[in-house]
Amino acid sequence: MEIFITLFITGFGLGALYFLVASGLSLIYGLMGVLNFAHGAFLTAGAYATWYFTTSIRADGSLSSYVISLFIAGVVGALFAVATEQILIKYLYDRHIDQALVTVGLGFVATSAYLGWFGSDPLIVLPPTQLYNTVQIGDAFVGIDRFLYIGVAALVLIANFLMMRYTRIGLIIRAGVENRSMVTALGIDVRKAFTFVFFIGGFAAGLGGALATTYASGVGPTLGDAFLIYAFITVVIGGMGSVPGTAIAAIVVGTTQVLVNYYVQGLGDFVVVMLLALVLLVRPQGLLGKVAH
Amino acid sequence: MNLLPGKYRYVPVLAMVFFGVAAFTPILNEPGLQQTFAVAFLFAALALTYDLLLGFTGLLSFGHALYYAAGAYGAAYAMARWDWGIIPAGIFAMVFATLIALFTGATALRVKGIAFAMVTLAFAEAGHVIAVLNMWGLSNGDQTLQLNFDSVPDFFLGVNNTRNLYLLALVTLILIYVAVWWLTQSSMGRVLQALRDNEERVSVLGLKPFNFKLIAFVLAGVMAAFVGVIAVIVTNNANPVMGSTQTTISLLLMVILGGIATRWGAVIGGLIYVVLSQRLTTLDTQGALSGLPEWIGGPMSEPAFILGVIFILVVMFSPGGIAGALYRLRMKFGSSVK
Repeated sequence: MEIFITLFITGFGLGALYFLVASGLSLIYGLMGVLNFAHGAFLTAGAYATWYFTTSIRADGSLSSYVISLFIAGVVGALFAVATEQILIKYLYDRHIDQALVTVGLGFVATSAYLGWFGSDPLIVLPPTQLYNTVQIGDAFVGIDRFLYIGVAALVLIANFLMMRYTRIGLIIRAGVENRSMVTALGIDVRKAFTFVFFIGGFAAGLGGALATTYASGVGPTLGDAFLIYAFITVVIGGMGSVPGTAIAAIVVGTTQVLVNYYVQGLGDFVVVMLLALVLLVRPQGLLGKVAH
Repeated sequence: MNLLPGKYRYVPVLAMVFFGVAAFTPILNEPGLQQTFAVAFLFAALALTYDLLLGFTGLLSFGHALYYAAGAYGAAYAMARWDWGIIPAGIFAMVFATLIALFTGATALRVKGIAFAMVTLAFAEAGHVIAVLNMWGLSNGDQTLQLNFDSVPDFFLGVNNTRNLYLLALVTLILIYVAVWWLTQSSMGRVLQALRDNEERVSVLGLKPFNFKLIAFVLAGVMAAFVGVIAVIVTNNANPVMGSTQTTISLLLMVILGGIATRWGAVIGGLIYVVLSQRLTTLDTQGALSGLPEWIGGPMSEPAFILGVIFILVVMFSPGGIAGALYRLRMKFGSSVK
């Protein structure tokens, strides 16, 4: 039982990281139909920012430096995302395949640039000692960093919910996901909301990158690519454009993967893929998706 | 979209003859160069099978590498563990890949567009995981599954016989080219292209889009598996990179660079991609980049960086790739418009 609790919370934590990547992917796709293959590169950028900050600028290993580095990673991810939207994607509106292709190219370029700058070996990022502690739940000991991932993801989810529910831009995004051409016809420029969605999606991905350095105890050029694939799966299972759906799917994917991988190494990844196939067969629009795109 | 008008129709044939003859002349007589070109031919063939899906059927798959890897691993496994000869092993590998393509294709084709891309991506990732982690002892993981030298005729072994491997790869490319050409010209090929352009109209005509797309998917998969079998002979192993998403993405780059739905565009894209990847690395080791500052020299020494930048520029400014650019040039200057 204690093993189950430890694994379950670890999986929940991994799901939280998936959520940070997938929420942005889901909104970007939901609003504009852009499948963003460069999203993993945003995550990796955030991870390298954390590495740089905690080893070169404030290498004191304190909790406050770590928290600041989380924020910086978010900003780096957000700036990268906005630059991507402004420089590459903006000019290809309504050319959906080309948009996806450009982000594929960007992901390719970014991965090889990271490789050229930082080398192929993972760079080690040491989290503050406080995160090495464990919490006792029943008979199980669980690493405290898991709760950090879950807490940050929960904050992002709540902030997302409040923004969607109570702000004008949130209203435009919700309406745009529902029916973009109608919103445009009413004289509202959806493209501004789109830039904003890239900003928050990039921020969440950068944040996820910072936390992923703790989860994976370091950062390598392909860190983001590894997360991106499972984030895609999460988005499809959850339903494109639905943030709550993404959150539920992230938990399902993360816990399934960790629990099954414990018993047979690699089988968890396999089971998650089969889960995706099953969801698509039974419910092609995903758990909370409105319409199949 | 046939971008080769009558008088250029024989260019691909001449090019193939040139490459065949060149291997016996000083132009291409060095084993290292022949090996590079052999790999380039195989990737060109693979890009062609990918173009059958992307360009001629309109299916954006991110999992095509799975069938290439299934062919390679199926053959390497049958030879290494069961001591089968190359021919039965190759047939086994292609049957194996067919079954996988049937199952994954039938599942993935239940959804369309981007969702289809993601499902194929996920299936390929599952295969990649099996290969990397050596699940059930199938793949030998990163150690790679080595070619069993007893299963292959002697004239394909050793550095002295690189030319034979080169010719084998060239023949493979020609076979795939002819097969794709024949398929896309056939009545089924016309249905596929019609599906790409307007699926609703095809179904109104009483044809079942799903069946045609599944056939195209499986055929492209089987041809990729065939290339995988040959790749085991040429590179002497089956390795996890073959089934990675990176491999599929490089196929996508090749097809887009060369020009989508033109056949020879995919071939040119594949050749340029592989030769450039290898030669750009040489450029770096010869010190051509030593004058540049580190922040730009570092990425420049990665061929993928330069190829990726070219790719982005092509998508943004030259839709249709090299083939499209040549076509526009001819439209502008040429008098030979039919």
